[in-house]
Amino acid sequence: MIEAHHLTKTYGAKRALDDATFTVRPGLVTGFLGPNGAGKSTTMRMIVGLDRPTSGSVTVNGKRFADHAAPLHEVGVLLDAKAVHTGRSAQDHLLAMGATHGIGKKRVAEVIALTGLESVAKKRVGGFSLGMGQRLGIAAALLGDPATVILDEPVNGLDPEGVVWVRTLARFLAGEGRTVFLSSHLMSEMAQTADHLIVLGRGKVLADSPVADVIQQASGDAVRVRSPHADHLVGLVQGPDVAVTAVEPGVVELRGITAERVGEIAASRGVVLHELTPLVRSLEDAYMTLTQDSVDYHAGGAPLEPAPVTTPGAPPVAAPAPAASASASASASVSVDTEGAQR
Amino acid sequence: MSTTAPYRPSRSHTTGRGVSFGGVLRSEWIKLRSLRSTVWCFAIIAVLIIGFGTLFSAVASGFEGAATTPEQQQSLSVSITTIGVTFAQLVAAVLGALVITGEFGTGMIRSTFTAVPRRTPALVAKLVLVALGTFVTSLVSLVITSFLAVPLLRGVDLALDLGDGRYWLSMVAAAGSVAFMAMIAFGFGMLIRNSAGTIAAAIGLIFVLPILFSIAMSLVSGTWLVSLYEFVPPTAATRLYDYVVDGASITTGPAVDGALRLDPWGGLLVLVGWVVVLFAAGAALVKRRDV
Repeated sequence: MIEAHHLTKTYGAKRALDDATFTVRPGLVTGFLGPNGAGKSTTMRMIVGLDRPTSGSVTVNGKRFADHAAPLHEVGVLLDAKAVHTGRSAQDHLLAMGATHGIGKKRVAEVIALTGLESVAKKRVGGFSLGMGQRLGIAAALLGDPATVILDEPVNGLDPEGVVWVRTLARFLAGEGRTVFLSSHLMSEMAQTADHLIVLGRGKVLADSPVADVIQQASGDAVRVRSPHADHLVGLVQGPDVAVTAVEPGVVELRGITAERVGEIAASRGVVLHELTPLVRSLEDAYMTLTQDSVDYHAGGAPLEPAPVTTPGAPPVAAPAPAASASASASASVSVDTEGAQR
Repeated sequence: MSTTAPYRPSRSHTTGRGVSFGGVLRSEWIKLRSLRSTVWCFAIIAVLIIGFGTLFSAVASGFEGAATTPEQQQSLSVSITTIGVTFAQLVAAVLGALVITGEFGTGMIRSTFTAVPRRTPALVAKLVLVALGTFVTSLVSLVITSFLAVPLLRGVDLALDLGDGRYWLSMVAAAGSVAFMAMIAFGFGMLIRNSAGTIAAAIGLIFVLPILFSIAMSLVSGTWLVSLYEFVPPTAATRLYDYVVDGASITTGPAVDGALRLDPWGGLLVLVGWVVVLFAAGAALVKRRDV
């Protein structure tokens, strides 16, 4: 259990973390999500006492990390920043870390085996690939068999097999009743691993709820209509709750009205429809909507994606039209993951 | 890379032993001997002390008649067998710097302070081990040098008496002076954190500062300057293992009238003072800083 109370960290004039209050509970995988520079790593470093909060506090199982008699048994952490001497072998690194707590060769051999580092354990860390470095970091995090596991961008640099392994490991650890706190800037990754999400943007907690709720909160469902008489149809469906966006000639996106209702109106007035598609926001879009005002380095807006044909009648509109541009041409380097929405 | 087995906890969360100072010492010991750079530093210290000591014992000349009494012969022998100590001090300073700055530079310090979040025990353990390691290496090297030197010095009419307790006290003190330089550099390392900067500062203190003092002393005549020079670490280190006969030794020459001249205990006090001040300041800073 990790509890942060009004945690704030400033670097000069910049607020890396701004009054963040949240709880990370045991038995769940909690995803810590936010764009680069949102304050995720800073928060994780503060949890294990490497950085000092400017104000506020954070405790692990009721105590400050440094006040625990056996910190490595309380919290295992994989930091995003490098944390290993490049001139030392992986095995010696783990032995040295373990020695502080009386953890010996047997446990070191176990974590080496479990992270698949046997073949390189005696090699110097300086020659490790990014993926091997991550595995060593995870081995170090698990060394003390900790009740709380904090992994900062754990899949960074891992091959697809390694990514699946981290996912399985995180779920397994949470299944044993441990507290698992993972950070990522990829929503798609979190969608497949986390039960609960804490979304951070520019140092503020934007959302703290189960994965499904985060999508709901940020959803603004729309209906895409393609018709030779689009203008006429728009006049028919117009109402105080309905927002209209013209996408291109003959294509409009309607918000605040269901696809069924549009279809009924069109049928009753004899308007020809060439397309009537409910649009559901993917997790990735939901995330973009949540964080888009708080992204430090903007790439572009996220487009809406057509919902799978098999799942019409998406949940009712929960939020007003998001600021994200629906124009596909405005979208940039954002990879959209529709798979996440089906989960 | 092969797939890995699912995680199985090896023990319950509560049964593990906690952090102990013994454990931290063992951890730092593993770190010290698992890096090539530190192992090399120890090896170079031994080579310098034994190499220079025996070389000078073999080729020393021009001392005939300088040492007439047995005491003077012992004093002269000390200055010959410890001739490599100054160079060893320099390497020890590099070692002392690397032990701490290497961790800051590579990020290892984050792992160290995650395992030992109170930080001070890890810093103390590092200091103790770097001091003990350089002390023992130097002392063993000086013992070897002394035994090799006896027959060599006989060739230049110096009768080194290894049964003389005071001679061995000087050897212990000389080994101590090497350890002090390592500790002082370690203190600088905690404050500066950067390897290059720390090594530059340590070399400045050990080699450049004495040169600056000798230039200053040739320009300004003042006993206060000579007295002040006694408090510079390399001077205090030399006083530490001086084999003084009648208020002077062959290495350091006679004292300047009216100026302060430290005896070995005075030298020890000055060096301890440097270490205490640097370590206290460094530890206070490291404890507060984000890493």
